[in-house]
Amino acid sequence: MGGPSLATQGFRAVPSLRYLNSTPAFFFADDGTSTGGFNHDGRARTLAEQAQRPFLAPHEMANASKADVLDKVRRAAYAEELRAAFGAAILDDADAAFDRIAFALQQFQKEDPAFHPFSSKYDRFLAGKAQLSDAELRGLGLFNNPGKGNCAACHPSAKSADGASPLFTDFSYDNLGVPRNAAIAATADPAYFDMGLCGPDRTDLTARQDLCGAFKVPTLRNVATRKTFFHNGAFTTLRDVLRFYVRRDTNPEEWYPLAADGTADRFNDLPAALRGNVNTTEAPYNRKPGMAPALSDAEIEDLLQFLGTLNDDNQS
Amino acid sequence: MMKKTLLAQALVTALAIAPAAHADEAALMKRLDQLAAELEKVKAELAATRQKADAVEQRQQAATPTAPAAPAPAAPATAAAPTAPAAPAGPATASVAPTVPSAQPVPVPAPAPAPAVPTAVVTSPASPAGSTYPGIQAPEAPRTVFSAYGEINYNRPTRNASGAQLDVRRTVLGFEHRFDERTKVVTELEWEHAVTSASDQGEAAVEQVYVEREFDTGLRAKAGLFLVPAGLLNQNHEPTAYYGVERNFVETAIIPTTWREAGVGVGKTLDNGLALEGGLTTGFDLNKWDASSSEGRESPLGSIHQEGQLARARNFAVYGAANWRGMPGLLLGGSVFTGTVGHATPNFAANDARVTLWDLHARYNPGRWDLSALYARGTISNTEALNLTFVGNPAPVPSSFYGWYGQAAYRLWKQGDYSLFPFARYERFNTAKTFAAVPAGLGVATAPDERVVTVGANLRVGSGVVLKADYQKFAEDKSRDRVNLGVGFSF
Repeated sequence: MGGPSLATQGFRAVPSLRYLNSTPAFFFADDGTSTGGFNHDGRARTLAEQAQRPFLAPHEMANASKADVLDKVRRAAYAEELRAAFGAAILDDADAAFDRIAFALQQFQKEDPAFHPFSSKYDRFLAGKAQLSDAELRGLGLFNNPGKGNCAACHPSAKSADGASPLFTDFSYDNLGVPRNAAIAATADPAYFDMGLCGPDRTDLTARQDLCGAFKVPTLRNVATRKTFFHNGAFTTLRDVLRFYVRRDTNPEEWYPLAADGTADRFNDLPAALRGNVNTTEAPYNRKPGMAPALSDAEIEDLLQFLGTLNDDNQS
Repeated sequence: MMKKTLLAQALVTALAIAPAAHADEAALMKRLDQLAAELEKVKAELAATRQKADAVEQRQQAATPTAPAAPAPAAPATAAAPTAPAAPAGPATASVAPTVPSAQPVPVPAPAPAPAVPTAVVTSPASPAGSTYPGIQAPEAPRTVFSAYGEINYNRPTRNASGAQLDVRRTVLGFEHRFDERTKVVTELEWEHAVTSASDQGEAAVEQVYVEREFDTGLRAKAGLFLVPAGLLNQNHEPTAYYGVERNFVETAIIPTTWREAGVGVGKTLDNGLALEGGLTTGFDLNKWDASSSEGRESPLGSIHQEGQLARARNFAVYGAANWRGMPGLLLGGSVFTGTVGHATPNFAANDARVTLWDLHARYNPGRWDLSALYARGTISNTEALNLTFVGNPAPVPSSFYGWYGQAAYRLWKQGDYSLFPFARYERFNTAKTFAAVPAGLGVATAPDERVVTVGANLRVGSGVVLKADYQKFAEDKSRDRVNLGVGFSF
């Protein structure tokens, strides 16, 4: 919720700002995979670019204009520090000042270790300094196992060859067919579809209909602390998220509204023509109704235990 | 002698065509005087030319350097020398830029054509130094010698026709340059899979580059990037040196041929035929282990080798090798290599892990037979904590891996410079024989040993070319059964 009186509803859940310092700008990899970028649809190429929009967006901070923002900054306690860093005339030109403010925010996020502390129990375990409990270890095994959770396929859990700690995201995009969230007022219009890479917020890839419905793979660090999940906040608990992953295809009626003929309206947050874009080939999405889900309820509990180890220390 | 006769003839002709009917006798005398003076001048010029030639000859003789201790090149070079005219053989160094200008003789006015660049075979036994013909000086051995080998292989899985592949497996160019009898540099460059670029799968690599010096005691010392003396194939890996199209599995998956490390090594061959080697070199880097890929399962050490490429060197490794050739036709030997592989990486769970690889091998050539056997075993210690972080992944770090093989080849027939060697080889190996213990249910099951039977033949053509064909049968993974054909060369 945002706007002048914090009463205007937005369109997407707020992503975490942690662990974004090594995200690359959006690009297509050699094999065509969309990679990188900031925001759920990767439309901002840098943290600075991403920082600019919330100031002016009507459903966020709702400032009237850049000059409006500047007025507020001039009256703030840190105006002198801005002048010291960027020159005495910085607050006189709205565009330049706005640019530098966004730049300062970017550098803060990149340089301050508070944004990437790597202080979770899992980090200590990777360093050989802590032991995971049996349930947490089982959860890690399920996370990595390509035949069970297969989570590591998009959320890598191992250190890279150069020793960098895992960020639990490969910066790519995936189309999960998340159910439509009626809590978002905009969805009352049946013609409204938030399709991520191909629009409506992002405008440069509208021609790539094969990318419609794909949203950015976020980091899983601190995921157990979240209250809303996926781009549209369709779920409010991590347990529901995990159950959705493994039961989306085996029990679609648990997730999607039933159509008149009794079948589930699968992938109802996408126009009918584009529902073929949804990932149904990679585990655990490759099952059919009637098959057992990739993870049993007990295994989901183990996995939740493991995901809890990804919380940075000052969080847990 | 010839010149005098010519001159006399010329004189006679000149006199003959001179205006004979000259009434004036005085004019005739004057003409005669003129001709005599010219004759004297020509005589003087001839003497001077002769003197110059003598001086040059003398200078050449004085400047010819003594023959180096390096083995003389093969026959073609010796044959080329006598074709040079009176002047001694021109610079015998290869046409590649020689580096010692002071030893260069002054070029004669009519220089002899340089003998064809000899391409001495580095791997074949050296011909004895010295000339076969008494009285003719043996040409100097070339200081820079090129060698090369290449193999082009065709593989056709018998149960999967679409997996057929023909690959320029490797093309290798090497050169060895001798600075003097005791010092040399050896380099080997390799191109794999024909094309190397960011979007191609080939590889261009430096396989060896090291300098070696021999001391009075017979001790040799080398420094640089060189092949580790392990197994039978690692140091003798040209296609003409082994049987079968592909290198055997034990010496590719367990001993990661061609395995090279950077560092220093010493060696000495004792009089009883025992050759000892030892050294201190870079080792492996366990940080490179990728538990989610199959690379580690295919060759544990091959997936973590550094090959002198920005190699982590906080931890070094030591190796030793002993090979005994005291009895003709028999080789017995073994080697050991050990080093820690964590390199004190911050936040790495296996900084004290140690890799050790040892092998025993034998090769026996009675009559027409070529028999060989090898056993190799490797261990990686202290992997428990690291493997815990890999639970669920298909390829955790093994704690031991091993392999052995027995091979027999026989020279069935020989006709001219063709010879046929049918052979058979049985190998048994396991790239993940054991794993360090992890809590129940979280480990990866060990796979059974793979057993491969290879039956085929090498057809040697001349001294450097080989055609190969074989069939390989796998006991565990039958989808890998295949027919292989290959052509290789080495000089």
